[in-house]
Amino acid sequence: MTAASAAKLRPHPALAAFVAFLVVAPFALSEFYVTLMNYIGLATLVVLGLVLLTGVTGLMSFGQQAFVGISAYTTGVVTTLYGGSPWLGLAAGLGLTALVALGLGLITVRLSGHYLPLCTIAWGISAYFVFGNLDVLGRYNGLGSIPALSLFGWTVDTGRKSYALIWVATLAALLAARNLLDSRSGRALRALRFRATMAESFGIDAAQLKLVIFLYAALLASLSGWLYAHFLRFVSPGAFTVNVGIEYLFMAVVGGASQVWGAVIGASLLTMLKEWLKDILPRFFEQSGNYEAIVFGLLMLALLHRARDGLMPVFARLGRGDPRRASPPVAAPGLSRRPRPAAGKLLLELRGVNKSFGGLAAVRELSFEMRGGEILGLIGPNGAGKSTVFNLVTGVLPADGGQIRFRGERIDALPARRIARLGIARTFQHVNLVGAMSVLENVAIGAHLRGAQGTVAAMLRLERDEERRLLHEAARQVERVGLAAHLGDSSASLALGQQRLVEISRALAADPVLMLLDEPAAGLRYQEKQALAGLLRRLRAEGVSILLVEHDMEFVMGLVDRLVVMDFGEKIAEGLPGEIRSDPVVIEAYLGGIE
Amino acid sequence: MNEDIFLWLIQDGVTNGAIYALLALALLLVFAVTRVIFVPQGEFITFSALSLALLEAGRTPGTLYILVIGGLAAAAMEAFVALRERAWRRLPRIAALYVLLPVAVAVLVAWAAPRKFDQWIQVLLVLAMVVPLGPILYRIAYQPLANASVLVLFIVSMAVHYVLTGLSLVFFGSEGLRSRPFWDAKFRLGVLEVSAQSICVVVASLVLILILWFLFEHSIYGKALRATAMNRVGARLVGIPTVLTGHLSFLLAALIGAVSGILIAPITTLYYDTGFLFGLKGFVGAILGGMGSYPLAALGSIAVGLLESFSSFWASAFKEVIVFTLIIPMLAWLSLRSRHVEEDEE
Amino acid sequence: MNRRLTIAFALLAAGALGALGARADVTVGVTLGATGPGASLGVHYKNAFQLMPKTLGGQPVKYIILEDGSDATNAGKNARKLISEDKVDVVMGSNGVPSSLQIAQVATETQTPFLCLTPIAVKPDQYKWTFSVPQPTELMMSAVAEHMKAHGVKTVGFIGFSDGWGDLMYTATESLAASHGYKVVTNERYARADTSVTGQVLKIIAANPDAVVVGGSGTGGALPHLALVEHGYKGQIYHNHGTVNAEFIKVGGKSVEGAIAPTGPLIVPEELPASNATRAVALDFTKRYEAAFGAGSRNAFAGYTHDAVMLLDAAIPAATKKAKPGTPEFRAALRDALENVKNVVGTHGVYNLTPANHNGLDERARVLVRVESGTWRLMK
Repeated sequence: MTAASAAKLRPHPALAAFVAFLVVAPFALSEFYVTLMNYIGLATLVVLGLVLLTGVTGLMSFGQQAFVGISAYTTGVVTTLYGGSPWLGLAAGLGLTALVALGLGLITVRLSGHYLPLCTIAWGISAYFVFGNLDVLGRYNGLGSIPALSLFGWTVDTGRKSYALIWVATLAALLAARNLLDSRSGRALRALRFRATMAESFGIDAAQLKLVIFLYAALLASLSGWLYAHFLRFVSPGAFTVNVGIEYLFMAVVGGASQVWGAVIGASLLTMLKEWLKDILPRFFEQSGNYEAIVFGLLMLALLHRARDGLMPVFARLGRGDPRRASPPVAAPGLSRRPRPAAGKLLLELRGVNKSFGGLAAVRELSFEMRGGEILGLIGPNGAGKSTVFNLVTGVLPADGGQIRFRGERIDALPARRIARLGIARTFQHVNLVGAMSVLENVAIGAHLRGAQGTVAAMLRLERDEERRLLHEAARQVERVGLAAHLGDSSASLALGQQRLVEISRALAADPVLMLLDEPAAGLRYQEKQALAGLLRRLRAEGVSILLVEHDMEFVMGLVDRLVVMDFGEKIAEGLPGEIRSDPVVIEAYLGGIE
Repeated sequence: MNEDIFLWLIQDGVTNGAIYALLALALLLVFAVTRVIFVPQGEFITFSALSLALLEAGRTPGTLYILVIGGLAAAAMEAFVALRERAWRRLPRIAALYVLLPVAVAVLVAWAAPRKFDQWIQVLLVLAMVVPLGPILYRIAYQPLANASVLVLFIVSMAVHYVLTGLSLVFFGSEGLRSRPFWDAKFRLGVLEVSAQSICVVVASLVLILILWFLFEHSIYGKALRATAMNRVGARLVGIPTVLTGHLSFLLAALIGAVSGILIAPITTLYYDTGFLFGLKGFVGAILGGMGSYPLAALGSIAVGLLESFSSFWASAFKEVIVFTLIIPMLAWLSLRSRHVEEDEE
Repeated sequence: MNRRLTIAFALLAAGALGALGARADVTVGVTLGATGPGASLGVHYKNAFQLMPKTLGGQPVKYIILEDGSDATNAGKNARKLISEDKVDVVMGSNGVPSSLQIAQVATETQTPFLCLTPIAVKPDQYKWTFSVPQPTELMMSAVAEHMKAHGVKTVGFIGFSDGWGDLMYTATESLAASHGYKVVTNERYARADTSVTGQVLKIIAANPDAVVVGGSGTGGALPHLALVEHGYKGQIYHNHGTVNAEFIKVGGKSVEGAIAPTGPLIVPEELPASNATRAVALDFTKRYEAAFGAGSRNAFAGYTHDAVMLLDAAIPAATKKAKPGTPEFRAALRDALENVKNVVGTHGVYNLTPANHNGLDERARVLVRVESGTWRLMK
């Protein structure tokens, strides 16, 4: 259970209750608890960024506190040293954060595995010592006497007044994040973490999208820092140590790192728990010690062992009985379509293509052509290099040598997302769906390049018109493969054969000129295969060309116009199905393969 | 900067680098087998160094409480599994390993502590207390998550670090401790004067590199351990007990940590929270070495040590900034170089 | 989720309101960091509270001690909690300048007297509610400066913690330079947990100063001292009052013999002349402290806690005449009373506070001590 439920509209009663609580809280709670709520709000902003960054996108950061610090110090310097307005401080803080985050982000989002967390720890530690060693920032003693905010003559100088400001900002950020996840960019984002190759194959620029999210998370932290500085009116380096960064991440994990509302839960629980432990622990332990840290650590361990998705799913289960049923999207004007090439015109051309993995040649001197409106079968024994050919044509792998041309343009040096723009769509041998997303959402990823609205528009809900058209198109393609009944189901709940059909409809949603289908019929029953063959024939009639890898010879022979046969990375035969069937070399290859 | 200072800085950097190398080697060993980035490795060092210092002062180190309570927790977890699977016969072994052994060690240490035995006996006592912590820790924190992703395991490491640092403060207090040197000997090397103690640290890391290199590259056990890291399911299918390899690697890590702590304790003042930065710098060293080769990890750690020693001469206030900022571009370069399509498992 | 959260908050809120029962005791709120980077100081501040009297100025008194982990944000949060939830009459704390400044800010905002246990240089006209109990750093370090002047020291090398304490010591050493005829030639920094300070020490030795001032605290002060000795530095090495404890000598061993540091009289009450004003108080306190926390556990920081409580003891009678504890009027009266306490004898010195001087200690509050055969001895 991941972002899917967060992205869909939460049931309104829970949201309404939450907002109602926020409205009543400052009047019902004592001064200190209002203060505590302020801290929760400030933490929520940072943790929300982490949810998007870590939980949704898969980039783990232990360094968000650095961005909080940059902005808190910036506004501190602007207001105390230069007597500027806090609003100028906000602008300067956000600006400086954006600059720093852009620099760090360009490096960070490209890091993988264990490099990433270490990098964030590294800059987090550096930031602390930079804050502590700059005279202008008051060195280790920090900056005091930061003025209170004032809003149209209303001075925000008490905890209760700050409360309003902090929580308006926090709620706005929460809603924006929720909107974002439920949009074209949001679907792309949610696909990145586990399905980066697939995402790139449908034209999603992973690095750029990650950078945008990295920036957004940094700016949320920056906003939190600005509010922090003017609420506490004192800034010192101690608030930005790497331990603080670790605690933010703990909050995200506790709440459920992949869910927007998990940020509120994580921030609230850990902040409250800390206060509570502070009261309760000294009663049990005479000796002074950092018992909170011990309890925190143990709590984290227990959570990671027992509820790795955090507490949000637990709360969500308690709050709601029946699972959400997606209604089919409303009708909307269709999306524009690509012109098809004339039948028989040269479409795809491979000439002398080579690819080897560590000295082992997977594809050797491979050449063949495909023409418009053609279904070409690519067959061969296991390990013949068919899937490698797919990866070369779609740009998932770079070719070592030779040329690949599509409609006359060389594509062998292009990245996958650029090739997708030209009208090539594919399915994967190992089903490559985002398990936590619904069938409809998965298919809508296929139509990614047919929309244009970005993240900011999505946060502000300015892209609803395009969104309806994208979803409508996706629904149409789902219907085409006969899965209309499963529109709202999570893709992981489908049978394998059905998942392959979803893959096909996702490729269709891209409005392709050329489709590469990798074993589409595997796992299908006889009738389903018949239906699939019918669909592919109709597509051919519409002018879509299809490159097909398939092991079911009956299916292949009855469908394709021509065949290319590979063995050990080389083309051993090419021709009409009838010719291939009686080719002694092919028979030898297949029989040899049985040994 | 004249030549003498240059040589001194090199010597200082190499000594510190050797300490980080001891950490890096253990980190790499654990990572290679379990995919755990074991940041709390530094805590083994502080535990053993501070325990030794307390024993020298004739006080009972709190490490034995950690050992007994940890053992009990691990025993409870093991027993829970055994009872659920109705494997009664496992219970005596669980009791012996996780309850009797720690309690016996604890009783022994508690008895020996006020008697201020010879330094070598104290060293053995420290080893007896710290080394079992490795497998116990693995059992409690990591074994239930053996199949989780590297990032989840990293968060677990952070949580473990939190717990251990907290316990360390409770049991060792906030002031630093140092133990008596084993050898007072000093050698002159040109302008330099090198203490036998720091030579020991360097030699220990060299020996360790050789052992690990031999163990992992040339022995069947090493190959089994490495196979576990690459493919847990596959390793289990061919009969490698993955749980046992996990325990074994943590046992080795704790042993390395304990020995390092004992070697370092006379050279520098150690505090309850020293371990974290140690662990991080060892991690940095291991990563600079590509996170795959023991000799390279040691070289990477020496590089960190040298970087530190020179930056503490040029701009001491910005030492950590220099060290941690410089590694960012290096990380970027390494990450891009080791480019492979990496996707988390859902 | 939200309904449960609401209930949780409501329960907490109810609990919070319930705590506001009627009381007449004087409540002292304390926030200290017995953990975190400043732990080695915070522990002693905190320990001393176990020895503090249960009545002050004739009033029963309650101490509420919260942990802030040596972190300023937490210290401020604790102060707010103590003031708004526990309705304390006075706040005390914390180790570390940032934490103390943060509390001072809250004290001003909430109009609560604040007895600061860290030497912070705040002006009474800006921070009307803040009183600083320890000797100002300049007062302490001037003892070192005078000693250096007397021994003809012209150049001084400084090495200190890369934190607020190091800054404090450097600023004091630097500001006394001109008046005492020396120059500070290095400003090296190190972290408490560093394994080596060879680089910094080599730089100091290259500058060849007549003396070195170490701005560390506790055992952390030993590392540069050992490295300096090891590299053959022959000049006098000075420390500061943060370093004066038994652990420092334990870690430093023979190498720190001859180290000189300023401190309050309570470190060496036995050696003070009988005429010394603070002798009796200091002797009594160190005896009780060491009985509770072990021989050789005496230190300056526990003394600050003691002296802060003594100041309260002196001020409360005047304040109770004007208002009842637990009211804003009492807090204001307490502040006014604190501003006028005279001749309060503490462990560190004799306090004479005025509206313009919120510390009130004089030269009697500092002595120089030297490490001689493994203990801190008074320098005559």
